[in-house]
Amino acid sequence: MSDSSHQPLSRGHTHDIVMAGLAKRRSAEKRFRLFGLASIVAGLIFLLVLFVSIIGNGYSAFTYANVALDITFDQAVIDPEGHRNPGTLAAADYDTLWKASLEKLFPDVTGRQQKRALNAFMGFSADKRLKDMVIGDPSLIGTTKTVWLPVDDTIDMLIKGKLGKEEELNERHLLDQAWIKTLQDQNRIRSSFNREFFTNGDSREPEAAGIWGAVTGSALTLLITIGLSLPIGIAAAIYLEEFAPRNRWTDLIEVNINNLAAVPSIVFGLLGLAVFINFFGLPRSSPLVGGLVLTLMTLPVIIIAARSALKSVPPSVREAALGIGASPVQMVFDHVLPLAVPGIMTGAIIGTARALGESAPLLMIGMVAFIVDIPKTFTSAATVLPVQIYLWADSPERAFNERTSAAIMVLLAFLMIMNGFAVYVRRRYERRW
Amino acid sequence: MTKLENSTMERPFHREHRSTVGTFTSDNPRIVCRSVDVYYGEKHAVQNINIDVGRHQVIALIGPSGCGKSTFLRCLNRMNDTIPDCRVTGDISMDGIAINGPEVDVVPLRAQVGMVFQKPNPFPKSIFENVAYGPRIHGLASNPSDLEEIVENSLRRAGLWDEVKDRLPQPGTGLSGGQQQRLCIARTIAVNPEVILMDEPCSALDPIATAKIEQLIDELRALYTIVIVTHSMQQAARVSQRTAFFHLGHLIEVGETAQVFTNPQHQLTEEYITGRFG
Ligand SMILES: Nc1ncnc2c1ncn2[C@@H]1O[C@H](COP(=O)(O)OP(=O)(O)O)[C@@H](O)[C@H]1O
Ligand SMILES: [Mg+2]
Repeated sequence: MSDSSHQPLSRGHTHDIVMAGLAKRRSAEKRFRLFGLASIVAGLIFLLVLFVSIIGNGYSAFTYANVALDITFDQAVIDPEGHRNPGTLAAADYDTLWKASLEKLFPDVTGRQQKRALNAFMGFSADKRLKDMVIGDPSLIGTTKTVWLPVDDTIDMLIKGKLGKEEELNERHLLDQAWIKTLQDQNRIRSSFNREFFTNGDSREPEAAGIWGAVTGSALTLLITIGLSLPIGIAAAIYLEEFAPRNRWTDLIEVNINNLAAVPSIVFGLLGLAVFINFFGLPRSSPLVGGLVLTLMTLPVIIIAARSALKSVPPSVREAALGIGASPVQMVFDHVLPLAVPGIMTGAIIGTARALGESAPLLMIGMVAFIVDIPKTFTSAATVLPVQIYLWADSPERAFNERTSAAIMVLLAFLMIMNGFAVYVRRRYERRW
Repeated sequence: MTKLENSTMERPFHREHRSTVGTFTSDNPRIVCRSVDVYYGEKHAVQNINIDVGRHQVIALIGPSGCGKSTFLRCLNRMNDTIPDCRVTGDISMDGIAINGPEVDVVPLRAQVGMVFQKPNPFPKSIFENVAYGPRIHGLASNPSDLEEIVENSLRRAGLWDEVKDRLPQPGTGLSGGQQQRLCIARTIAVNPEVILMDEPCSALDPIATAKIEQLIDELRALYTIVIVTHSMQQAARVSQRTAFFHLGHLIEVGETAQVFTNPQHQLTEEYITGRFG
């Protein structure tokens, strides 16, 4: 060692070196902050664009245009024999009633072509609404009443201005627009809340197509997924982390769990098809099978998250519990697990959110079918929200366009409710001290 | 000091001498250890320890850091079981009953032999819950008012009652370091143990909190047998009746505290207590 290394640096010298490097350090820090800010702003912009486009596209699906028609409940049409027999009332052709009313409103419509257009003005469910009114109150027969009835989905699009681009409008559309104008001038058109969208299952007719079937399908599927993957995942994590001996076998299991987490989801669909449907003979397209497939997919994520949450509980807590004679199970359930809950919930959120948004594996097990009925049990045929979105996005009718966006909004709301619940649980267990 | 230094040459046992010097037996032993060895995998951390722990006595384990004091202490309540690849051999018995065999149930053992750790580690729960947890899992209280009584008595014995009686539902982790450590002592005595092990209980505390704990240890001696690890020789001299000096995994010397500190038999003990290494 040379002598100079033993000489203390003069204070001034050290200070100079530090000062010289300071500008560089400051600018590095500034640069980093700027990068961070920029990426957050970029993320927010993307999120904003996404929300604006989806909400802008989809909010109109929550309302639907209705027309006020003066309906004469003609005995000759509804119940020619006058027995008020429910069977007869149900079988009557109620379309005739609103057609007659419209003809009275537009007496100068004569041509065959024009007449046909006018007869397509009201929607698919106008008939049902009139039928329900008469069956509910047969004394209506013979009277005349103003009734709000839903229009056809193309008319709804025209009223909402969603078919507004000139080049798209054909002769028929122009005719419709003229009638709409007349009705609007008479204050006979109003838009009301589209209840059907939230209560119906899927339909070929956009105006009758609703999201409720897919929502129940998703809910049933997720119930199975959460009900299985959370307890199994947490139990597996606790066993592996707290009780299992460290040896080659547990190493092998750990490696394979990590591998499973990285397997593409469609592979789980194939597995589900082969095992649950073909081997065990469980019903196709059912939330039960869907939930089982998504459980397989979610389990590794929850196990990995739960293990790391358990691992991060300080050893002093374990020592304290064991030191006063708690058994290992008491130590885990009374002290370690409560501290790990926030971390476990984070993993559960990530896992189930992914399961909720998953469609690929469900296509493999037949949850892509066109299903009108609202699923009632875990074994009835069902579809789920992402698959419903995919189906509607694929439909040619213009009205399905806004329904696709609306369905995405419902999916996002579903997710937010679920996350909100998980955040609530996490908060409750968060270390308050 | 000068007197001790001058007498170095007269020590009958030199540095190379590695078997225990002094009287390791006790007239009325609670714990008896014979040929205890501890291995961490291949590492032979504690070698051939023979020592008795007397009833209602405080015995202090001293020695330089890494000499195996904590490792030996943890043999007495089988906490070494929780360390993978840690192996303890030899005979350890408490009140004549072997506690080191694989057939021994550690849960009741740890209820009998409580432990206070180096860093205060109250549960992240309320003060009440901290003390009540032990009695509850062992079923020591038959009803809620019983439990409250146990909690109060334990806190009183730990000298903490007056400070916390108005804030029992508040978190134990919100107390000061010294209070937390006394809370841990209260938690330990709430299960009514016979022996309390303390691993450097004051090393994270300020002198005033340390003094309180030392006074507490002296009071607790009437009810419990206490084994305390400490790196402070003053503390060992103040609180203990017997002292055991460890060095590199060997028990070098054990005897009456006054005798070990004023007239150590072994050269290493003498060098350590006079501060020549450590
Ligand atoms: N968990 C462990 N694994 C491996 N070696 C350990 C472990 N704990 C302690 N040791 C080793 O055992 C020896 C004794 O340690 P310890 O009992 O903690 O010493 P002390 O408490 O006297 O400072 C040290 O050499 C230490 O490195
Ligand atoms: Mg130690």
